[in-house]
Amino acid sequence: MTVVAAKPISSPAALQRKREQLGKQRSGPAKRVRVCIGTGCAAKGSRRLYELFVEAMKESDMAVEAVICVGCHGFCQRGPIVVVEPGEIFYQQVEEPDVAEIFRETVLGGRVVERLLYEDPVTDKRAKTAAEIPFYRAQQRIVLAHNGVIDPTSIDDYIAVGGYGALAKALTAMTPEQVLAQVERSGLRGRGGGGFPTARKWRSCRNAPGQPKYVICNGDEGDPGAFMDRSIMEGNPHAILEGMALGAYAIGSSQGYIYVRNEYPLAVKHLRGAIEDARAAGLLGQDILGTGFSFDIRINRGGGAFVCGESTALMASLEGRPGEPRAKYVHTVESGLREKPTNLNNVETWANVPAIINRGGEWFASIGTEKSKGTKVFSLVGKVENTGLVEVPMGITLRRIIEEIGGGVPDGKAFKAVQTGGPSGGCIPAEHLDTAVDFDELTELGSMMGSGGMIVMDEDTCMVNVARYFLNFLNAESCGKCTPCREGLAQMLAILDRITHGEGRQGDIDRLEQLADLLEGTALCALGKTAANPVLSTIRYFRDEYDAHILQQRCPAKECRGLFRYEIDPEACKACGLCLKHCPVEAISGEKKVPHVIDQQKCTHCGTCLDKCPFGAVLKV
Amino acid sequence: MTVQEKLIETIVSRYDGEVGMLIPMMQDLQAESGYLPVDQLRRLAARLDTPVSRLYAVATFYASFRLAPKGQHEVTLCVGTVCYLKGAGRISERIQEEFQVEAGGTTPDGLFTFQAVNCVGACALAPVMIVDGQYHDKVTPDSAMEVLRGLPLEQRQEQQETKT
Amino acid sequence: MPTVTIDGIRVEVETGATVLDAARKAGIWIPTLCYHPAVSPPATCRLCMVELDRGDWKQLVTSCNYPVRCDIEVSVSSDRAVAARRGVMQLLLALAPENEQLKALAERMGVEGTPYPTVTTSQRDCILCGLCTAVCDEVLGRSAIAFSGRGPDRAVTTPFRQPAEDCIGCGACAVVCPVGTIRIRMHEQEGEIEISPFKTRAKMLTCEQCGARVTSVPVAEYALNRAQIDWQEFRQLARLCPRCRRKRTAARLTEGRTLAAQAGYVAGTKKAE
Repeated sequence: MTVVAAKPISSPAALQRKREQLGKQRSGPAKRVRVCIGTGCAAKGSRRLYELFVEAMKESDMAVEAVICVGCHGFCQRGPIVVVEPGEIFYQQVEEPDVAEIFRETVLGGRVVERLLYEDPVTDKRAKTAAEIPFYRAQQRIVLAHNGVIDPTSIDDYIAVGGYGALAKALTAMTPEQVLAQVERSGLRGRGGGGFPTARKWRSCRNAPGQPKYVICNGDEGDPGAFMDRSIMEGNPHAILEGMALGAYAIGSSQGYIYVRNEYPLAVKHLRGAIEDARAAGLLGQDILGTGFSFDIRINRGGGAFVCGESTALMASLEGRPGEPRAKYVHTVESGLREKPTNLNNVETWANVPAIINRGGEWFASIGTEKSKGTKVFSLVGKVENTGLVEVPMGITLRRIIEEIGGGVPDGKAFKAVQTGGPSGGCIPAEHLDTAVDFDELTELGSMMGSGGMIVMDEDTCMVNVARYFLNFLNAESCGKCTPCREGLAQMLAILDRITHGEGRQGDIDRLEQLADLLEGTALCALGKTAANPVLSTIRYFRDEYDAHILQQRCPAKECRGLFRYEIDPEACKACGLCLKHCPVEAISGEKKVPHVIDQQKCTHCGTCLDKCPFGAVLKV
Repeated sequence: MTVQEKLIETIVSRYDGEVGMLIPMMQDLQAESGYLPVDQLRRLAARLDTPVSRLYAVATFYASFRLAPKGQHEVTLCVGTVCYLKGAGRISERIQEEFQVEAGGTTPDGLFTFQAVNCVGACALAPVMIVDGQYHDKVTPDSAMEVLRGLPLEQRQEQQETKT
Repeated sequence: MPTVTIDGIRVEVETGATVLDAARKAGIWIPTLCYHPAVSPPATCRLCMVELDRGDWKQLVTSCNYPVRCDIEVSVSSDRAVAARRGVMQLLLALAPENEQLKALAERMGVEGTPYPTVTTSQRDCILCGLCTAVCDEVLGRSAIAFSGRGPDRAVTTPFRQPAEDCIGCGACAVVCPVGTIRIRMHEQEGEIEISPFKTRAKMLTCEQCGARVTSVPVAEYALNRAQIDWQEFRQLARLCPRCRRKRTAARLTEGRTLAAQAGYVAGTKKAE
């Protein structure tokens, strides 16, 4: 699909000419079908939809170029998503048989297929375009602006929407110092977790003695339930490359690395293609746009280790070693990759840079709160109606994200908590839903911004078990290098295992807090130092659940096996015998037309009866 | 030069023999045979003039590397937070019990290799199970069993096909 | 030279020296396990925590690798530093509860036992400090042992857990092991040295004179290569045990003395004249 530029673009003026030329080609009521091939939609078979559209185009003698694959739209809950131009008709949950109809009605006939439009569950109104859907209405898209719009495998698509314009502008009209000044003015803070001011990091690296200098893009998005960076890498890879080139220019580097998580093959493919295309177009490599500035990028795939999201571990991995962090008493901006000055930012941070240079730091700083500028991408997941990727201005409340954009908790269940910041973050309860989302407010609540995972939990979620889940995750993902992280997490996990099995003891909460304090103070890297956060924040807000487990051997959310009972509601039981037949320990008795009963002595709490009952007669009590 | 030596040579030259690219080299090596054969690792270490212990350290540190051959099928269950909240933990238990397989291991009959991974980023489909690259969304312990029990049949069919 | 103030004692150290260096200069004891002057600090055991006073905020740091770059104030005896070291020691005691050296160090620190059960079992009696792997890599350049696995599975092993070809049987790992877990075992009958628990063995060199075990054959070769002295006599000397080597040198000297005396050049006799 990609049309590789026949020869490199030799100057910023030539880039401008190319953009105008592409603009002319694409103006007017051109017909275009955009099929989302983000992982969510692809998993539901969107690649096949793309092929079917191409076949349909061929049959009716239309240009197959009119069908393109695009990156994630964000509304994964309603995938696969197909958008038809002109008119931006937004079709959701499209299946193979729908392709013919969309093609006949919309592409050829210009009519809308009503039944494939999004229907607002509250108002029953159908939305013709994405802008009319509540999920998108409250969003403000800078990083994701072109996601779902451009073909990520086409550099022309990126150039046509203004891509590489910021780089051309910087290389011709700005000094590195001026680029830095704009980023400084924007107030951009790192989107990877810590929220460190980006410009300050760049400046330290720029001022650090030693050559060569490296820039690194951290695409090792390891937080479970988070896929912001993947969507950017898959959906708009050139924005990352352009951001890195701008950073390299400001810092004085000529070599960049992108470290991509192993589980993201499509991101690797798209980035690889983008780098090749950018090189061929003279936008990467030697003498970019004829300005004398040289910069190239290499991709490394991660090996599957969460700890490699930590900057020094990532660098160890880039050097071909196990991803073990080292002490940061000497910062990586002074001595990082191969002991050279190294500037590392995450995907979303880099992807923000072109917009900042294009539109100015002032503009960026006008969005957001006093200390957190711009927008943030969150992956809104869990027990929420609309799962997906959302980009919102900093300062929006958690409530608006979860209720307005996310559509609230499904199945009439009650909201319990939202977990932000990944495994090292914390759980925020309902009483703090009106908190404005920014770096400092979330930290204040005992959680953190992290890279942008936002996991909604409802009344059925046991918060002790959530803490145990994250600790189990971190214990398995700890590199094991330092004593407190390796041994301390194992000890904490053992305590939580006991509690969730109904064997908690008096004083367990104190022991957990002591160990948490020890980890925070003595662990070698950020993973260990923050590892106890999920435990601390759940103790802080849901201490009653811990107490119920420890003192009464009861799980209020009825999740921890053995800490609640299964019973059959005699009113609802139709005596069908399904539960009885499937019970592995023959704990259920009953006959035809006689409501069944569970023998609590024999029951092993496996939950098979609950799964099998077609009438919802098995209850957790 | 043997076939094995040639493979190592090809992979090493792909990265200009740079030891820093050890992980990509090992990934390429694994892509060839599905796992990392010990003799090939020794060969690679010798070719790069790097201690074998470093390759072994890397191979055992990163979750994606395997030192044993894979089963005939590849079953990946996502146990990321969302999938876990929606019941992946119980699915994992059922698979492990029913097929006598540990996470990261292969069933005794070599039918499939079972991986429990931390988030494949398809949270809208949770819980997700990926069998030979095909996504199964919103799986339950029962539906997962159904899919996996269907695997031996496919395998026999394949064998018959190759025979005929 | 920057000044480090430790628990009120002021010492000057070179820029780039560590807080531990400064503490030793000040005569203040900080417990360590993974520190050894022969290798760069792995800083894994976290036992040497001290509290750094930065004026507006305080921070726990490991003294073994915190570089002194300007005047700083450090507390070894603050409540937080003491609690941190105690906490780490308790975790280590849970890891290797039977270890005598560890218990002795705990006692010196005033830590009486551990409240924690043993929950990790990747490697018996080993505290995973990494001194052995560091010595094998940095000092010997062999890397016959290294860490394998991750997190709770982390262990010091030979490649593929098989006897390591790269091991020269020098025993440096056993010498630096702070808790005596790595041991040298001699197999007299086979004339072999074994590094336990790695099960690697090497042939011993036998003294040509008296038949005593000198060192492992690979170590002798390694030393000869490293010394790069192509001197036949040196090579011959290397095949002797230290005792026989001394005897031989003494014999030479006596021989020399006799010759000199005959020529009237021996200092003592000259004076007498």
